Amino acid sequence: MTRLDDGTSGIGAASDTTTHASRRLLRVQSSPSRHRPLRRAAVGATAIGALLLAACSGGTGTGSEAEGPVEGGTLVYASGDAEPTCLDPHVGGNYPQALVATQYLEQLTALDENREPVPWLAESWELAEDGLALDVTVRDDVTFTDGTPLTSEAVAANIAHLQDPETGSSTGYLALEKVEDVEEVDERTARIHLSEPDSALLENLAMPWLAIQSPAALERGMEENCAAPVGTGPFTVSEWNRQESIVLERNEEYTSPDPAAENTGPARLERIEWRFIPEAATRYSALASGEVHVIDNAQPDAISRAAEDDAIAHIDAPRPGASNRIELNAGQAPFDDDRVRTAFIRAAAVDEGIESLFFGTAERSYSALSSIERHVHADPAPFGTDLEEAAALLDEAGWTAGDDGVRTKDGERLTLRFPVSTNQSIPAEISLFEQIQAAVAEAGFDVQIQQLDLASWYEALAKNEYELVSAPYTRTGPDVLRVLYHSDGIEPAPSGYFANHAQLDDPQLDELLDEAARTEDETERGQLYRQAQEIILGGHYILPLYDQQNHFLHRAGLHGVRTLAVSTPTFVDAWLED
Amino acid sequence: MLGAVFVLWAAATITFFAVRAVPGDPAETIIGGPGSQAGEEALAAARAEYGLDLPLWEQYLRYLGGLLSGDLGTSYALRAPVTEVIGEQLPGTLALALTALLLGWALALLLVRQAARGGRVSRVLGTIMEVTAAALPHFWLGAVLILVFATTLGWLPSVSTPDLPGLILPALTLAIPLAGFLGQVMRESADDALASTFALSARARGESPAGLFWRHVLRHAVLPAASLSGWAFGTLISGAVIVETLFARPGLGRTLFLAVQGRDVPVVTGTVLVVALAYVLITFAGDLLEMLVDPRRRRV
Repeated sequence: MTRLDDGTSGIGAASDTTTHASRRLLRVQSSPSRHRPLRRAAVGATAIGALLLAACSGGTGTGSEAEGPVEGGTLVYASGDAEPTCLDPHVGGNYPQALVATQYLEQLTALDENREPVPWLAESWELAEDGLALDVTVRDDVTFTDGTPLTSEAVAANIAHLQDPETGSSTGYLALEKVEDVEEVDERTARIHLSEPDSALLENLAMPWLAIQSPAALERGMEENCAAPVGTGPFTVSEWNRQESIVLERNEEYTSPDPAAENTGPARLERIEWRFIPEAATRYSALASGEVHVIDNAQPDAISRAAEDDAIAHIDAPRPGASNRIELNAGQAPFDDDRVRTAFIRAAAVDEGIESLFFGTAERSYSALSSIERHVHADPAPFGTDLEEAAALLDEAGWTAGDDGVRTKDGERLTLRFPVSTNQSIPAEISLFEQIQAAVAEAGFDVQIQQLDLASWYEALAKNEYELVSAPYTRTGPDVLRVLYHSDGIEPAPSGYFANHAQLDDPQLDELLDEAARTEDETERGQLYRQAQEIILGGHYILPLYDQQNHFLHRAGLHGVRTLAVSTPTFVDAWLED
Repeated sequence: MLGAVFVLWAAATITFFAVRAVPGDPAETIIGGPGSQAGEEALAAARAEYGLDLPLWEQYLRYLGGLLSGDLGTSYALRAPVTEVIGEQLPGTLALALTALLLGWALALLLVRQAARGGRVSRVLGTIMEVTAAALPHFWLGAVLILVFATTLGWLPSVSTPDLPGLILPALTLAIPLAGFLGQVMRESADDALASTFALSARARGESPAGLFWRHVLRHAVLPAASLSGWAFGTLISGAVIVETLFARPGLGRTLFLAVQGRDVPVVTGTVLVVALAYVLITFAGDLLEMLVDPRRRRV
């Protein structure tokens, strides 16, 4: 850390020489710092997006922390995700884009600790009686970093941009499915017209993929906007050295921190250097030696090592949306038979594997939804293991034991093709799949794991050449269940993509999910989602494993890091001890 | 010369067809990566823009035509001309490969010199070191170097920086196995030279052991290694794919890795072509070096 800080702390000190010097004096007296690793404390705590994390919530109370935030400095962030090809999260819309865009773009709504939508760039909203129009009034004191004021026109322009096929938005586009058009009622109020009531809209508007950008900047065209999107965030995109780093500079005119922020004005950090370090071991080593301050995609071994290092703190921020789960393709044999699905789940012992491969960093899930979502329903009952029951069920379904241990029926072997994306499954997860493969082999299943790159993996799904699959899906709110398990999701898009990998086709479930998506009353909505989840879990269509793992490690000298709606970190409150 | 052109043409043709044989729709890469929910219209527009709707042979001819005029096409993912992408990334990789090549030579010479000077024990030790070094995989070696010099000792950065300290670990990772290999090759000729009559006569004239080595034996030792430098450079480029990813160092190797993963066909073919060109040039330079070292060659 010293190497980088030495180069930058001078800049921060220059702005505020006297106080800075006296702080430094105090800090010397108060050392040595005694940060305690907070791994356990952080687990689950981050379910609340607004919570102050790690070092801050620990309350070990070192002198430098008690003194309050330090102004200035350059934060170095090392991302293990692929470098986005476009910095505008409207285009495409994946997690790496959301991570970096959180630093320079903001949304109309935020989610509070109960995952309830609260005002952010929108000051207030009002839903029409019939639920077919939402009047959104934006704040009057916010200006984009190119000088354009935030108005209703900006809201209209952004929704139009997301809905324009030329933009190629997938995540944002899907979230605005029911939006017909946007009317500018006055300077600050935009009326969003809907084709049918949409109880997920305000939750969806909190996602970085629906961030509000300067309408003037959007007009510059795709290429320019991809290189440097213009928003209202605490930082602005200053340089992008492809394959190396993105340099973000502080927005000195910043006025719109999210509702959970402590800070009311510009960020304390002067600059963020956003680097791409694809190799997990290198990333951790760079953090341990202090070359970088924060790393994402921290792997289980690194997290457990960091727990013994007082200089490193841990943030466990599971992603919202779906849990990580294995889906059983019920659209074709052999999993079109409930007994075979049940037998698979009875044979698939996963608890010990999760415990040992993830070093205790991942908690077993019994739900289709992320544990941080509202209306999540977890039920361990359908997922008990019992090899004898598995054998009995398979016998009953007509699958008889073969010579080599693999069961057969009418000359067909009980083979399960399991395409695994090496881009989406971390090594620990792939090892877990191998353990499951070994466990279900005892019951006579022949699981064939195929490790594939992303394009081949999508191709295997598009061709319906799979019986098992594990695919992450991040989104805000329980409406993700409709995306993943409504029978509409079996129909592939022209590119071959479809989201309902379990190929769950149940009219009763469709009805529940449609109804929930139209229901504004939160209690009623919760009941509908509960019934829907009972069908999904009880039907043995999925084997939940754990939440979508999203771990950050940072230097203990970095304070005030929080995560927002989709569990991406914000540095608006953050400051660096020097 | 004709041979060089043939090598380049073959490299271009093989990669052109190889990358098209893999599954996945390139139009999806253009639109936003695999799994995109792009509509049929957007996909069709992308296909037309990049000429993917044409028959394969026509695409191939257009591609060759482009090559002749120095046009390597446009990257799907980066939406920039491939020549520009490669131009940006090439210097970093060249700096890495050349530093590694120099380091590799220096280490190999040291090894051979050490073995030539010492007795039987140091000779055996030298051989063991060379064989071990030559067999070390880049990935493992790089990780160990990071662990020792960056994490434990804190002397050097683990993430490659553009300055000299940032270049040392990645270059060493490439240089050590190379040194082992070059050392093995040089040793054999060095031993022959030391046992030869001209070495004996030099010693009889009163040449010191050091002088004997540097002035007489070295020339013979260097020859086979010099002619292998073209090959060595090639292994450095392929090693760069691993080393640049490991040390998060921008360069051609990392570009190639990302392009293969992302199915960015023009970047893959362009990079392979540039590497093939580098092979040809380096082999040529190796021949020149041989002529410099070996006067017999000059007369031919």
